[in-house]
Amino acid sequence: MPEILRMPEVAANTTEAVVSSWNVSLNTPYAAGETIVTVETEKAAVDIEAEAEGTLLRLLAEEGQTVAVGSPIAVWGHPDENQDAVDALVAALDLPAGSTVGGDAGNESPAEVAAAGAAHDGAGTASSGHGGRIFASPIARKLAAEAGLDLAAVVGTGPNHSIRRRDVEAALAVSRAAGASDSGPDTGASPPPARQETGPVAVRADFEDVPLSRMRQAIARRLVDSKHSAPHFYLRATVRVDRLLDVRRELGGDAGAAVTINDLIVRAVAVAHSRVPGLNVRWNGDSVRQYRHADIAIAVATEHGLVTPVVCGVDTMSIGQLARRTRELIQRAHNRRLRQEELEGGSITVTNLGMFGIEEFAAIINPPHAAILAVGAASQQPHVVDGELQVATIMRLCLSVDHRPVDGATAAEWMRELTGILEHPVRILA
Amino acid sequence: MPIHRAIEPGAAWTELVVTDADWDAASAELLTAMLSQLVLIRTFEEFVLDLAAKGLIHGPAHSSIGQEGGAVGSCISLTSRDTVNGSHRGHHQFLAKVLTHLHPDGIDPAKPVPEDVREALLRTLREICGLARGFSRGRGGSMHLRWDEAGAIGTNAIVGGGVPLAAGSAWAHKHAGTDAVAVSYFGDGAMNIGSVLETFNLAAAWSLPLCFFVENNQYAVSTHIAEVTAETRLSGRGPGFGIRSWKVDGMDPLAVHLVLQEALEHLRAGRGPVLVEAEVYRYFHQNGPFPGSAFRYRTKEEERQWRQRDPLDTVARHLVRRGILAQEDIAGCIQQAKELMAELGEVILEPKPDGKPNEKRIKPQEWPDAGIVDEGVRGDLSELAELPFTDLGDHAGELVESSFIGAIAGVLARRMETDPRVVVMGEDVHRLNGGTNGATRGLSERFPERVLGTPISENAFAGLGGGLAMDGRFRPIVEFMYADFMWVAADQLFNQIGKARHMFGGTGTVPLVLRSKVAMGTGYGSQHSMDPAGIFATAPGWRIVAPSTPYDYIGLMNTALACDDPVVVLEHVDLYQSRGPTIADDYDHYLPVGKAAVRRRGSAITVITYLAMTQYVLAAVEDVGIDAEVIDLRWLDRASLDWDTIAASVQKCNTVLIAEQGTQGTSYGGWLADEIQRRLFDWLDAPIERVTGGEASPSISKVLERAAFAGTEEVAAKLRQMAEV
Ligand SMILES: Cc1ncc(C[n+]2csc(CCOP(=O)(O)OP(=O)(O)O)c2C)c(N)n1
Ligand SMILES: [Mg+2]
Repeated sequence: MPEILRMPEVAANTTEAVVSSWNVSLNTPYAAGETIVTVETEKAAVDIEAEAEGTLLRLLAEEGQTVAVGSPIAVWGHPDENQDAVDALVAALDLPAGSTVGGDAGNESPAEVAAAGAAHDGAGTASSGHGGRIFASPIARKLAAEAGLDLAAVVGTGPNHSIRRRDVEAALAVSRAAGASDSGPDTGASPPPARQETGPVAVRADFEDVPLSRMRQAIARRLVDSKHSAPHFYLRATVRVDRLLDVRRELGGDAGAAVTINDLIVRAVAVAHSRVPGLNVRWNGDSVRQYRHADIAIAVATEHGLVTPVVCGVDTMSIGQLARRTRELIQRAHNRRLRQEELEGGSITVTNLGMFGIEEFAAIINPPHAAILAVGAASQQPHVVDGELQVATIMRLCLSVDHRPVDGATAAEWMRELTGILEHPVRILA
Repeated sequence: MPIHRAIEPGAAWTELVVTDADWDAASAELLTAMLSQLVLIRTFEEFVLDLAAKGLIHGPAHSSIGQEGGAVGSCISLTSRDTVNGSHRGHHQFLAKVLTHLHPDGIDPAKPVPEDVREALLRTLREICGLARGFSRGRGGSMHLRWDEAGAIGTNAIVGGGVPLAAGSAWAHKHAGTDAVAVSYFGDGAMNIGSVLETFNLAAAWSLPLCFFVENNQYAVSTHIAEVTAETRLSGRGPGFGIRSWKVDGMDPLAVHLVLQEALEHLRAGRGPVLVEAEVYRYFHQNGPFPGSAFRYRTKEEERQWRQRDPLDTVARHLVRRGILAQEDIAGCIQQAKELMAELGEVILEPKPDGKPNEKRIKPQEWPDAGIVDEGVRGDLSELAELPFTDLGDHAGELVESSFIGAIAGVLARRMETDPRVVVMGEDVHRLNGGTNGATRGLSERFPERVLGTPISENAFAGLGGGLAMDGRFRPIVEFMYADFMWVAADQLFNQIGKARHMFGGTGTVPLVLRSKVAMGTGYGSQHSMDPAGIFATAPGWRIVAPSTPYDYIGLMNTALACDDPVVVLEHVDLYQSRGPTIADDYDHYLPVGKAAVRRRGSAITVITYLAMTQYVLAAVEDVGIDAEVIDLRWLDRASLDWDTIAASVQKCNTVLIAEQGTQGTSYGGWLADEIQRRLFDWLDAPIERVTGGEASPSISKVLERAAFAGTEEVAAKLRQMAEV
């Protein structure tokens, strides 16, 4: 019996993914565990492995095609499967030509929408952690979903405080304005495109509207969501890093792993987490998740955009292991070969613009993290110690914190720990 | 003391009685032909009852066993061009017409049953069993038997419902210049229903070649004729309408044949309709294999006496008496028919798996594919494929201002001029300088033969129009003076005209145009002020157009007339005196089916409306100053709705108002709101809103009337409310 291969839900709450490459040819047998197809979500390319040996009998999605999660992408089975059975199976799917292509939801037939909805049932419930039902009009829900906007944070002005289209648009406008006042590449997330209004537009050819890449859309959506739903507060600190630089120099010769300042900072964050676990948390909506290990995301600027792979269990790693693991993740980030699970989890991101000479910046929390640590450049500066002017290497930190799970005092305590660790780097290695 | 003078009816009323001399004079060919038909029909029906007894017929099997004399005696002298229809009890008439069509010179009872007869019997059996290869693909069954080619134009399950349709067929025969006739069979029970009596009058008034053939079997189900009418001599009804009438012993096929000879001469000579009352008897109950006496409304003795007058036995007896056939020949003929039916049974039946011994079932492959259930409710519009569709913006010609009523009269005149098939009928359409509103101005002078002022018999003349449309040689335009009269004609509009195409297999056409006037606001009160759109929208088969401008009227009427489906063209009195741009001297443009008009572009609210309400909506939008998009639907039925335009607008505005003038109960917008939320739910920002009139029908009093329907003010209030929320 031929069977249907469907687009897997490679990451929670993804509704669609792109077939980026078919890795086995039609009618060529493959073994169990072999990669059949690579699909790409907004952030990652995921290799889909064969659950059992078989052969691809019919492709239902081309490379580059966007397919809703749960929709068929191929038919597989035994190499000598009956063609009629394949035809019958495909016919039973009742696919209008090109129907698996996503895009404008308005073009989807009700049946397709229903099918997609059914495929998401399981995942849908996971995100509804906001307690009571939110009353919102269908178009408001649709626009919010497209913009990654959490309706829980939108104030409804319709009958019975239901959320109308205008409320979503207002919320999006607010986050657009907020986004513009934050600086730095991290915060460069543009809001999702407003729905195109028709009407005369003066056409001038001195700009170009570049269509949004999937990654750009994702960045925009997630960060708008973050700015909108996570009330940020900011703690700034200055640390003297002469000793940290010494340690790094000493470690430099360590076998195989050139340790960077950033590695040391990440490691310091892990130690701070173990001392002040109150920051090693995330907001679940109806609970606060307390992590036991320090999983820390690092912001990597690639030519495609920002990605934040997570280094898991930093608290259990030696500095050498950490450095190797980090270097590997960065490498794969540039090659777009990160796996979806490598992008998930963690409670904090470390982002560093020091290499650009940026002294200090405030970053937007990468949801669902509780905080993001923005690290500026280390530079020699006049420094007063005990009334005496010295030359010191100084670095500025800015911690953005989600006030929902973390109070100011906890964050301040954590920040004090961190600066202490960085100024006394033996503690990092402890 | 006043004097009483006896008055004689103008039309003769006689009873025809045959003698042995008539039997001796009848030709051998006639008698053997009658015998063959009687045997085949009787045996066929016995087989059907046998299937019914075994539970293999879904629905009623109304046998006519005992009554065959009337059917055979009358059909045997009809030609294939002559048409017949009948009612729920119609197997015998249908088969008699089919057999005469296939073998006009008679079937020799001594020879094997001809192959084409075998085929026709099998197809009939399949239809009665509801099977795919029946005449109507199994949709019609026992009560809806039609084979156009044979002149059998369809039996009917509404008592009396087929009679007006037969009048349409007769009108077509006459006006196509033929001497063909139509015969409509019905029972004694049907003699008391309006459509039959209305048609007596209409057919006589218009001198149609129509034979009303009443099979008086004395019972309507279990009710005896004497219980429901004081004049049980039913042929007595005819003279009162000026119809030449006969009574005849229907158990005697020769007597019926001789009456028909006289009747046909009368009909073919163009002397108007005839009424033949044939006294017959059905041996069994209304339906199924048990005699009526089993249900105690009559006695076994009564049944026994009638059986002694059996038509088959009568013909057989005279054949033997005259030495034309021997007793064994007749037995052989019957035996052969029984074997044929058994063989036909084998074609459609098989042993039931896991059933009792001899238990049968219909072969699975004989059933129709359930997927065709909605197929052919309307046509596929292929008849419009070649039409040059245009809209107002597409014309190069000069634009002129025209009045709406002028556009109606203009396009009707133009079509009657170019298309001799177009016939206009309705009350007063031929007088008053174009009917009550001037819509048919000038037509009766130019086309007196095709502009028909009707008696006040909506059911009969709507049905006549329907029969004319189904006949196919003419394109009737029926006018209802007020839309409310559709209830009076409901059977013909909804049971007959709307359902006919689908019910008879989905292929026949029904090119009828109904002009229906909406008159709310004219002070005509509760029974003259309805908008029928909502009711027509629930009726399968109909298309609905609602022109709101003179240009649209011309384009929509032309398309409606070209369309092979029944189309109701709604006209609103508020529009009659309105004016609008049309193309100078051009009444030949067509608007496409299923294209709405966006009368105002906007992005705040989609307002969906039609007919006269369009202008009131536009006024309200200006009043309120809201940026609404106003869609004038033009086509209102389920199959012709412009979903593209609606969807695009809803996706833009996200808020919908459906606005109409008429009362809530029969309003149009309910189903549309339902369909919109189903198709476009994710695009809605608010519940779909509606404006309709109130619950009560508009009254005569001007203030109460205005309060009862919706107009500019109601729309404006609703728009304000929607804008505030
Ligand atoms: C308008 C209408 N009312 C009632 C019925 C139900 N019905 C079907 S047959 C029948 C009796 C008809 O009697 P008659 O016209 O004498 O015909 P017969 O059955 O005797 O041939 C009735 C009441 C119907 N089909 N149509
Ligand atoms: Mg009767």
